[in-house]
Amino acid sequence: MNGIISLASITYKEGIRNRALFGIFIMALLAFALTVILTSLFMRDIVRVAASLSLTTIAFSGLLMVIFIGTNLVAKDIDKRTIYMVISRPISRAEYIVGKFLGLCLLIIVSIMFLGIVSSIPVLIAGQTYHNPQSIFSWGIYFTALVFIALKLMLIAGVIIFWSSITSTSFISLILTISVYIIGSTNEVVKGFLDMKMEGVTISPLTSAIIKFVYYIFPNLSAFDLKVQAANGLSVSVGYIAWTLAYWLIYTAIIVSAGALVMERREFP
Amino acid sequence: MPLIEMDSLSKVFTKDFTKKKVCALNSLTLEVLEGEVFGFLGPNGAGKSTTIKLLLHLIRPTSGRLSIDGKAANDKNVRRMIGYLPENPYFYDHLSAKELLWFGGKSCDLNHDSILQRTDTLLQMFDLTDAENRPLRSYSKGMVQRAGLALALIHDPKILILDEPMSGLDPMGRKKVFDLILRLKEEGKTVFFSSHILHDIERLCDRAAILINGSLVRSIHVKKDLPSGKTLEEVFFEEVSRSGGLRE
Repeated sequence: MNGIISLASITYKEGIRNRALFGIFIMALLAFALTVILTSLFMRDIVRVAASLSLTTIAFSGLLMVIFIGTNLVAKDIDKRTIYMVISRPISRAEYIVGKFLGLCLLIIVSIMFLGIVSSIPVLIAGQTYHNPQSIFSWGIYFTALVFIALKLMLIAGVIIFWSSITSTSFISLILTISVYIIGSTNEVVKGFLDMKMEGVTISPLTSAIIKFVYYIFPNLSAFDLKVQAANGLSVSVGYIAWTLAYWLIYTAIIVSAGALVMERREFP
Repeated sequence: MPLIEMDSLSKVFTKDFTKKKVCALNSLTLEVLEGEVFGFLGPNGAGKSTTIKLLLHLIRPTSGRLSIDGKAANDKNVRRMIGYLPENPYFYDHLSAKELLWFGGKSCDLNHDSILQRTDTLLQMFDLTDAENRPLRSYSKGMVQRAGLALALIHDPKILILDEPMSGLDPMGRKKVFDLILRLKEEGKTVFFSSHILHDIERLCDRAAILINGSLVRSIHVKKDLPSGKTLEEVFFEEVSRSGGLRE
């Protein structure tokens, strides 16, 4: 266990000092500043616009962070042979994968907490400047949406770690992860079309089977998107939160375990 | 008592696209005794680093048996008793030497106080105290090598496996590594190291093995078995020319 903890710790430290992260944070801070300016252009629902823009900024910055830092985590270790330093200690290959994943998760949690706190500033400014007593904005749902963004990013981190265990080329890992992200963000919509059974539209059994296969194999990332609920103050049921958390836990555990299994078979000549 | 035992150890690599097989190590049988300094000699591509990677389970043998202190090399707990310095070590850019040693100690289950105490001692021993909080990417090659040695020693291992520990070091750096190996020997540690600097191996080692084209061609007691008037260097060149030089 100490092996995993120590590896997660240095992965986090290495990640938090990465210059790419500073660039992404600066971009996010500028976007928050822009949110304050942009909201002044709207006549009503200003808090809604501010919340929506802030959450979008966090989701996008987090995605950039996970992809740029995550895809290099394992690939760089293998390319530069830093992995020799880790595997030559009492750390198994599977523990290496788990340690790297947990380090990346810690980086995601800290970064989302930081961005989440900063993002509340434009929302507060919008709320104070254009006070609307009828506003139904809820901080509880806003922070739930932030937690769900963090969960989504951790799931993507699991996907990156899985691909990194298969290929040592960070570019291939990047392309595969982006593909999973695009499919994962749209598969629910596509499955929705399939389930609608519109009149006059026939879908071949093969296409239907492929869509169902993709829906169940790829992660359903849109389930973690609570931006609309947060911006409009719509409540999120406890059942939905519980099911989504269970889905996240099971999917992430499976994908990280699969990565660990693949890594156990690898050699580092 | 042998601490490291290799019995008919072979490693064949298969190239990714051509599927061509390359035999990097051919039926190596070797024993390293507890408390001895063992030198591993051979030209580039002889299989020295392959053997070391097999010892550390970075790669798996194609055939043969390998045990360390009576346990299979694939048992991760075996690596608790090993300190390893890779050839041209490369560490995480943004970590400091202190953080690197914390990782080394923690991953080997050392407690907080022991890690702090060993870190101070080792950083002093390798003249890294002034640079202990600087990121490793700002270190010179010699400093990285010394940080690597400190990492190999942080958990006070029984066995030291050093792959070209003197490569790229200036004379002062070489002297430090030389003195360190002598000190480790006095402490009763087992040191297994590869080097191209034959003079150093002759002065430091109890025994040495010469590996050419993946095969063991000679194993000698450096202090006893060297033919009279001959240096290890001369014996090495004789063996290389007898084996017909290096294969491509």
